[in-house]
Amino acid sequence: MKYSYYPGCSLGATAREYDLSTHAVCSHLGVELAELEDWSCCGASSAHSTNHVLAGALPARNIALAQEAGHDLVVPCAACYNRLKRTDSLLAEDPRQRRELEELCQFTYTGTVAVRSLLELMDAVGLSRIQEAVVRPLSGLKLAPYYGCLLVRPASVRRGDNPDHPRALDQIMEAAGATVCHWSYKTDCCGGALSIARAGIVKELVDKILDMAVDAGASALVTACPLCVANLEMRRSRRHTLPVLYFTELLAVAMGLEGTRAWFRKHLVDPYPLLRSLGLVG
Amino acid sequence: MAVFQEQVKPTGAVMVVGGGISGMQSALDLAEAGFRVYLVDRAPAIGGTMARLDKTFPTNDCAMCIMSPKLVDCGRHLDIEIITGATVKEVAGEPGALKVRLEQRPRYVELEKCTACGDCTRVCPVDVPNEFDAGLGSRKAIYKLYSQATPNAFAIEKNGVSPCRAACPAGVNAHGYVALARAGKWNEAWELIRRALPFPSVCGRVCNHPCEEECYRAQIDAPVAIRTLKRYITHRAMDGAAREPRQPSGRPVAIVGAGPAGLTCAAQLARRGYAPTVFEALPVPGGMMRVGIPEYRLPKDLVAREVALVEQEGVKITTSRALGRDFSIDDLFVQGFAAVFLALGAHQSQQLGIPGEDLPGVLPAIPFLREVALGSRPVLGGRVAVIGGGNTAMDAARTARRLGAAHVTIVYRRTEGEITALPEEIAEAREEGIEFLMLASPLAFSGTGRLESISCIRNRLGEPDASGRRRPLPVPGSEFTLKVDTAIVAVGQRTDPEVLARLGLELTRWGTIAADRTTMATSRPGVFAGGDVVTGPSMLVDAVGDGNAAALAIDAYLRGDGSASLAVRPARERVVESRANPGLTPRARRVTPRLLDVERRVSSFEEVALSLTEEEAMAEAARCLNCAVCCECQQCVAVCGPKAIDHGDAVRIRELDVGAVILSPGFDLFDARARTEYGYGIYPNVVSSMEFERMLSASGPFQGHVTRPSDGQEPRRVAFIQCVGSRDTECGQEYCSAVCCMYATKEAIIAQEHIPGLAATVFYMDVRAFGKEFEYYYSRAQADHGIRYEKCVVSTVKELQVNKNLVLRFRRADGTMGEEEFDLVVLSLGLRPPASARELAAAAGVQLDEYGFCVSPALSPGATSRPGVFVAGAFREPKDIPETVIDASCAAARAAELLSPARGTLTRKKEYPPEKDVTGRPPRVGVFVCHCGINIGSVIDVPSVVNFASRLPGVVWAEEFLFTCSQDSIERMVQRIEEHALNRVVVASCTPRTHEALFRESIRAAGLNPYLFELANIREQSSWVHRFDSRAATAKARDLVSMAVAKARLLQPIAGQEFTIDHSALVVGGGASGMAAALSLAGQGFQVHLVEKEAALGGNLRHLQRTLEGDDVGAVLDDLIAAMRSHPLISVHLESTVVSTSGYLGNYATRIQGPDGELEVKHGVVLLATGASEGRSPEYGLGRHPAVLTQLEFEERLAAGELPGTVAMIQCAGSREPGRPYCSRICCSEAVKNALYLKELSPGSTVVVFYRDVRTYGFKEKYYRKAREQGVIFVQYDVEEKPTVRYSGAGIEVEALDPVLGERILVRPDYLVLSTGVVPNDNAHLSQVFKVPLTQDGFYSEAHLKLRPVEFAADGIYLCGLAHGPKLLEESLAQARAAAVRAVGLLAKPVVTGKGSVARVNARRCTACGLCVNACPYDARAIDAKTGAAEVRAILCQGCGACVVACPSGASELKGFEKRQIMAMIDAALAEEV
Repeated sequence: MKYSYYPGCSLGATAREYDLSTHAVCSHLGVELAELEDWSCCGASSAHSTNHVLAGALPARNIALAQEAGHDLVVPCAACYNRLKRTDSLLAEDPRQRRELEELCQFTYTGTVAVRSLLELMDAVGLSRIQEAVVRPLSGLKLAPYYGCLLVRPASVRRGDNPDHPRALDQIMEAAGATVCHWSYKTDCCGGALSIARAGIVKELVDKILDMAVDAGASALVTACPLCVANLEMRRSRRHTLPVLYFTELLAVAMGLEGTRAWFRKHLVDPYPLLRSLGLVG
Repeated sequence: MAVFQEQVKPTGAVMVVGGGISGMQSALDLAEAGFRVYLVDRAPAIGGTMARLDKTFPTNDCAMCIMSPKLVDCGRHLDIEIITGATVKEVAGEPGALKVRLEQRPRYVELEKCTACGDCTRVCPVDVPNEFDAGLGSRKAIYKLYSQATPNAFAIEKNGVSPCRAACPAGVNAHGYVALARAGKWNEAWELIRRALPFPSVCGRVCNHPCEEECYRAQIDAPVAIRTLKRYITHRAMDGAAREPRQPSGRPVAIVGAGPAGLTCAAQLARRGYAPTVFEALPVPGGMMRVGIPEYRLPKDLVAREVALVEQEGVKITTSRALGRDFSIDDLFVQGFAAVFLALGAHQSQQLGIPGEDLPGVLPAIPFLREVALGSRPVLGGRVAVIGGGNTAMDAARTARRLGAAHVTIVYRRTEGEITALPEEIAEAREEGIEFLMLASPLAFSGTGRLESISCIRNRLGEPDASGRRRPLPVPGSEFTLKVDTAIVAVGQRTDPEVLARLGLELTRWGTIAADRTTMATSRPGVFAGGDVVTGPSMLVDAVGDGNAAALAIDAYLRGDGSASLAVRPARERVVESRANPGLTPRARRVTPRLLDVERRVSSFEEVALSLTEEEAMAEAARCLNCAVCCECQQCVAVCGPKAIDHGDAVRIRELDVGAVILSPGFDLFDARARTEYGYGIYPNVVSSMEFERMLSASGPFQGHVTRPSDGQEPRRVAFIQCVGSRDTECGQEYCSAVCCMYATKEAIIAQEHIPGLAATVFYMDVRAFGKEFEYYYSRAQADHGIRYEKCVVSTVKELQVNKNLVLRFRRADGTMGEEEFDLVVLSLGLRPPASARELAAAAGVQLDEYGFCVSPALSPGATSRPGVFVAGAFREPKDIPETVIDASCAAARAAELLSPARGTLTRKKEYPPEKDVTGRPPRVGVFVCHCGINIGSVIDVPSVVNFASRLPGVVWAEEFLFTCSQDSIERMVQRIEEHALNRVVVASCTPRTHEALFRESIRAAGLNPYLFELANIREQSSWVHRFDSRAATAKARDLVSMAVAKARLLQPIAGQEFTIDHSALVVGGGASGMAAALSLAGQGFQVHLVEKEAALGGNLRHLQRTLEGDDVGAVLDDLIAAMRSHPLISVHLESTVVSTSGYLGNYATRIQGPDGELEVKHGVVLLATGASEGRSPEYGLGRHPAVLTQLEFEERLAAGELPGTVAMIQCAGSREPGRPYCSRICCSEAVKNALYLKELSPGSTVVVFYRDVRTYGFKEKYYRKAREQGVIFVQYDVEEKPTVRYSGAGIEVEALDPVLGERILVRPDYLVLSTGVVPNDNAHLSQVFKVPLTQDGFYSEAHLKLRPVEFAADGIYLCGLAHGPKLLEESLAQARAAAVRAVGLLAKPVVTGKGSVARVNARRCTACGLCVNACPYDARAIDAKTGAAEVRAILCQGCGACVVACPSGASELKGFEKRQIMAMIDAALAEEV
C-alpha cells in the first residue's frame, strides 16, 4: 500500500508528534507514505474565508500534484483534509468550477486519486489488521474519541460515517483495546481558527468539551486533528487535567513501537503519567 | 362516470388494498351498498396505524375503543372477505372488469382452525422486537399483531432460515436450539439437536462449528458461541434421557463402520422403521470419536453414552467385525440385508515418504492416538516432535505432553497463518508449553536402531497453491538437525487402500469410494457410502451429514421413491439476509468457557474446557439475533390443541375478478435516524412519537406506564420536537404531515394525565391546529395543562452522560440562543408514503407524485391516474383520521357509482333452516364449558363446573370442550341441540364481545332463535383475574354459569322488525357539496330532491375563481350544473326552503316552501349541505374603507384585471379570538393562493402577509414555500400585539412588530386584504326541523368527530361541506360523496331490519312523562299523541337501555334484558350452592 502524504503546515511544527507517530504506525502496518513533492498550503487558516479563488486553487494545486504522483493522497490534518476533500468534490461535481481550477492550476482533473483522512486510511487497512498488530492492548484506558467539526463534515462530501455520531475513531481505539466512552460532544467545535482572535470564546467551547468528556468517564481525549489538540491543550481552564492524544500515538503504544516517550514530551498536557499509571508505557 | 356498453355488466365486487381505518371504512360502505369486498392487507391483521394509537385528538377517545366496532363489523360481514399477508402483483383489465393477481404469504396457521388461545406463544422460544409497539418490548415468532386483531388468529413470521442453520453440514437446527436455550428449555433443545445429530455432547466439544463462521452476530461483535451452548444443553438434558428402547423391526440394513457417519445413518433408519445392524472392525464403537480424539478434549464415557442412546433407537452394533477380513459385501446381501451403507472412515496415517520413516520412535499419529485411547500409555522420551499442522497434530502433541514428554515441538512447513488447526487448539497447546517450529520440513529421520534426530530444512512461502494457501519453498542451504526421542507424523489419514481395492466398487483418483454426493449411491446398486471413506479425512459434522443423507437416500431407495427430497440441510437460497445493525444493537461479550489449570492439564487427561453456568448459557443464547425469526423448533405444533399450525404452508397466488380497486395502504413514519443531530437510535431517551404513543397506551409494552428507556424513571420534563421529517427539503420531505402538531399536543396532554406535574414543551415552527375543534384543544393544552409552545427550530440534542438527560439547543423567536435540559425527548415524526408504494403503484398501474404519494386530481377526490382504480387516506396525502374516513367513503362512492348496475349481484345471503317454535315448551338447557386451551382449564376445574351445571334446574345436557369456538366443537354443539332437543344454550367461555355472535349464529343454524343463547364469561371474569386462586375461580365460574342458566331458562325468541323504506333522498343546499352529493346519489341509481334557497345553484363557488393548485373553479361549477340539469333522477327546487318534516329514518315527509307555494316530498334519507359564508368582522376597517377587502373580494378584483403594486394581508382577522375562537382552516391557503396569483400577474408587486401561524397543511406547504421563494413577505404577529392599521386620506398604513428583525415595520399597501374566515349560515332552523345538534360555533355536529364525520347520531341524516365546518373545495367534494355512499348503505336495502334487542313500552304503566324521550340519544323515543304513551321507533333503537334506566314507572323494558331475567340471575348468584 503506497500513498502520497500531505503533512500540511502543522505536522512539521505544533503537531510534530502527530507526524512522527503517523509515520511509525503506518510503516508498522506496511503502509508506505511518500511525502507529496512540492506541496503547498491548503488555505485552511484564512484563504477559504477571505479569497474564494485561492480557497479552491490552493487545494486544487495539491490535488494536481497528487494526481501526477499517482497515489491516493493521505491528509492527517483535519483542516487540510476538509479543504482538500471539499475541493476534490467540487472538481468532481461542478464542471464550471472544475474548468476554472484546471485553468488556474494548469492540469486536467481525472478523479483518479482519492483524498483520504488518516481515519479513512485506517479503514482501508482494516480493523482486523490493526487488531493483529496490537501487542499491548490499551486495557483500562478510558477514552473520549473527539472528532472535532471538520473530519466528518459536510456529510454530503464525507459520506459513510454518521456526521453527528461518527464511529471510525471509536472502532480503531476499541481495536487497540481501549475502552471508548459514549458521549455526544464528539463532533462539537473546539473553536478552531478563532484560537488567536477570540480566545475567550474558544476557552468556553474547550471547557465544555472537557467537562463533558469528564462526565462521560474519560481519562483522556483522543483525536485526529492538530488544531483540536492545540486548542484543547492550550485554551482550557486550569481545573482541567485531561490529556489529549493523537490516535496514532496510542496506536503506537498498543503496537509496542519505539519513540512514544519523546512524542509525549511535545504535549502541553503530559499524557505520560496517565499511561504509566495504567502500565501501558514503561 | 364511466359509460358501459349496454350489454356489459360490470363485476359487482371491489378490492380494497390496505386494511387500516381507511380500508375498513371503504369496505364497510361498499358491503352495505351491495357489493362484495375483498379487503387485502400485507399484515397478518387489519387495523393499520390507528390500532397502534393510544388516544385520539381532540376528544381524547381511546383509539382502539372507537375503532374496534369497525374491526368486528369487517370481520363478521358476510360480504367482506379479509385477505391478510397479501400483496397486489397485477391489476389487469378495464374499469368495471378488472382482474387482480394477489400473492399471499404463508401464515403457517390455519385461520379456520386457530382459536387464538395463545398457547403457542407461551412455548415459542423466539423473542423479537415488537414492531407493533414501535420496537419497544418483544413478541414471539408466532404472534397476534395486537389483542383485538381481526382476523382473531395467530401467524408465524418466518423469513427463510438463519445462516447458522444452513451452514451445518449435519443439518442441525442451530437457531432452534439456541432459541430454546435462551428460554431455558434444555430438554427441548437437546431433543431438537438429536433429530439431526445423535452426538450432541461430542459435537458440543469438538465440532469445527461452521455455524459460528456464518453467524451474523459477528457483524456486531462476535458470533454466538453455538458450540459451547450445545455442550451446556447436553450437560443439562442428557441425564434425563433414558427411555424405552425401540424394538427393531422392518427391513434390515447393514452399516459398516460405527463412526459418526455409520451410527447417524443407523439411528435415522431405525427411526424410520428399519432394522439396522452396524459392523465395526475395532473392539469398540464410536470410530474417531472414540479412538481419534483424545480424552482431555472428549471424555470417552460421553461417547459411550451417546452410542448407547443410538442403540436404544433400535440399532444393533457388532464389534470386531471387519469388512474384507471377516465378511464381504456379497455376504451381507446373502444374509438378507436390503441395503448396505459403507462408512469405514479413514484410520490409516499418511506417510511422509522420507528416509527413516520406519525407524522405531517414528510413530504415525492415528495409531498412536488410537492406542492411547484404548488404554495404552507408550513411553515417548523427553523430546517429541510432531510433524504437521492440523488438529490431529495438536492432538498428538498435547497427548504426548500428557504422557510425560517435557519438550514437544510441532514442526510445520508453513506459517501460523496457514495452519489448519482451530485457533483455540493452537492457543491451548501453547499454554501447555508446546513449541512451534514454523516454516520447516523434515528431510529424513535418522538414528541407530532407534530415532535420534530429524534433519530438517527451512522454508519460505511462495505463490498460493490449489488450497489457496501459500506454498512452502525450501531455502537452499538452511538445513538443520533436530534432536528428538520420538517423532509423531500427523500429515493426514486415509482408508486402508488394500481394503478398498477388494470391495469391487468404483474408486476415485484419490483412492476413495466413488459415491454420488446427493444419493450417496456407489457403483453397485443397493450399496451406499459416506463419511471419510468417500470424502477423505473431514470433520465430524460432515460425517454426520453424510449419515443423515445416506439414511434419506436408503429410505428413498427401499421405498422406490425417486422424487423424495434428499436434502439434509436448508437450501442456501433460503438463508435470510443480515439485518444486524452494528450501530444500534448493543454489544454483548461472547462467553469464553473457563479452562482447567495448565498444571492439571499437562499431568492428566482431564477435560480441559469447563462447562458454563446456567446464567452464562442463557445470556449467551440471548445474544442470538433470531435472523430468520421463526426457528422452526416445532414447539408450537406440539401444543396447538386445534392442530392449526402448518410449517409447510406456502405462498399462494390468487386471481380475483373485481369491478374496481381502492388503494389505501396508509403511510410509514419518517425514519428519525436520518436527522442525526437529534440522536435518535443513539440516545436511549430520544424516542419517536410512535414509541411514545405505545408507551402511553394501556395495551402497550409498559401498560401505559411512561418511563425513560435509560433508567425506567418517570420523566418530569418532556420535549416534543416537531417537523422531524416534515417541511424539510433537506431530507426530501418538503410537505407538512398535517397531523403532528395535534398528536404531539395530545401526547403531551395524555402524558400529563399519566404523570401529574409533568412539564411538556413543544418546539414548533407553526402550530397547525386547523381541523374541527382543534383550536379549542390547542388552547386548552396551553391554558388548562400548561403545555409550553416554543416557536423555534431545535438545532441539536445532546446527551449528558451523568444522568442521560438531554440538552436541546435552539434559537428563540427573538434571536437569542437557548439551551434547556429535558428528561425525555419525543420526535414528532412526519408521514411518508408506505414502503410498498412503488411496488403497489406499479402493480395497480397508477402514478405517484414527486413525493411518492398517489397522484389524485384535487377536484376529483378519490380518482387516480387509472380509471377504475381509486385512492383513499394518507396514500393520497398525509391526513388525519376524519379526513381519511371521508376519503375512504368518497372512494367507495366512486366505486359504487361505477359499478351501480352490478349492485347486489355478488352479495351473499346466509340460508338457515326454519326456526323451531319453542313457545310454551319447558326449557331444555344445554351448557357447554370451555377450557380455552389452558386459558380456563389450567385455573378452573372445568369437569367440576360441568358436573355442577348438569345438576342445575332445566339443564338436560352439559359438556366440556377444549375450544368451544373451534369448528368441530361448533358442529358437535349443533348435533347436541338435535340429539337432546335443546331449546336454550349456555356457553361458559370468554367474552361476548368476540364470541357471542358466533355462538348465536351457530344455534340459529341448528334451528334455534339466536336470542335463546346466553354466555357466561368465565375467562376474563374468572380464570384470568383469579389465576392464582383455582378454588375461588372455580367457585366463581360455577356462580357465573348458574346465573347464565337462570337467565337462559327465561329467554324468549326475539325477531328484528323489518321496515320498508322510501328509496329517495332529500339534499338541502345547492352549493358544491350539495350538488356533488346529489350527483353521487343519482349516479348510484337513487332519486334525489335538492332544495336550494337561492335562485341559482353554486353557492360559494360562484365567487371563487381558482384553487391554490390553479384549477379553474368556474369550469367545475359549469360541469356540476350541467350534470345536475341533465340527470333524470334529480329534481332541483330553487328559491325553496324546508319548512317542516315528519317521520324518521326511511320514511320522511318534508314540506318545502318554494316560489310556487308549499309542496311535500317523500324521501328515505336527508343530506344537509347548507354551506357557510365568508366572515365580515368590522376589525381593521372592513366595510369602512374602500381599500380594505376580504380575500374573496380581492380574488374577484384580481380576476377582473386589477393589479395593485403593494398588498398587505392580515390573517386571522376575527378568527382564533374570543367571539370566534375556531380556526377557519382555509384562510392561509387562500392568502397564499391570492399572493401567488398577484405575483403571477405582476411579478414586481409587493405582498406582505401578517400571520399568527401559517397553516398550509399537507401539500399546501409547497405553495407556501413557493410564495416565499417568489418574494412574498411573511411577518408573524402575536395576538397580544396585532398589526395596527391607520388611514391617512385614501391611503392605508399597516404597522407591526417584525420578530425576526426585532423592529416595527410599516407597510403602505394599495389594498389591505383581510382573511376573515368562515362563519356558519343560520343552521338553527334546520337543526330544529331535523332534530340534529350544532357545535358551539354554529356548525352541524356530526355523530363522532373522528370516525363518523358525515352522519348524525340519528340514522338516516347525513351532512357534508361547509355546514360541517370550514374546509377547502376539494374536501367538500370528497365529503359530499362520502355522505352519499353512507346514505346509499341504507337506500340500497330493500327493507331495513331493526335490531332484535330493542326497547319496548308497557303502555298501561306509561305516564307519558317524557323522560325516556330525553334520555334516548338516537331519537328513537316519542310520545304518541293518540295513545298518550311513549312509543319506540324500533328502527332507530340501538338497544342501549338508557330509556329503561330513565323510566320511573318501570314501563320501559329492553328485550333480552327483561327485569325477571335479571332478577333470576341475581337470585342465582345469591343462592347457596346446591
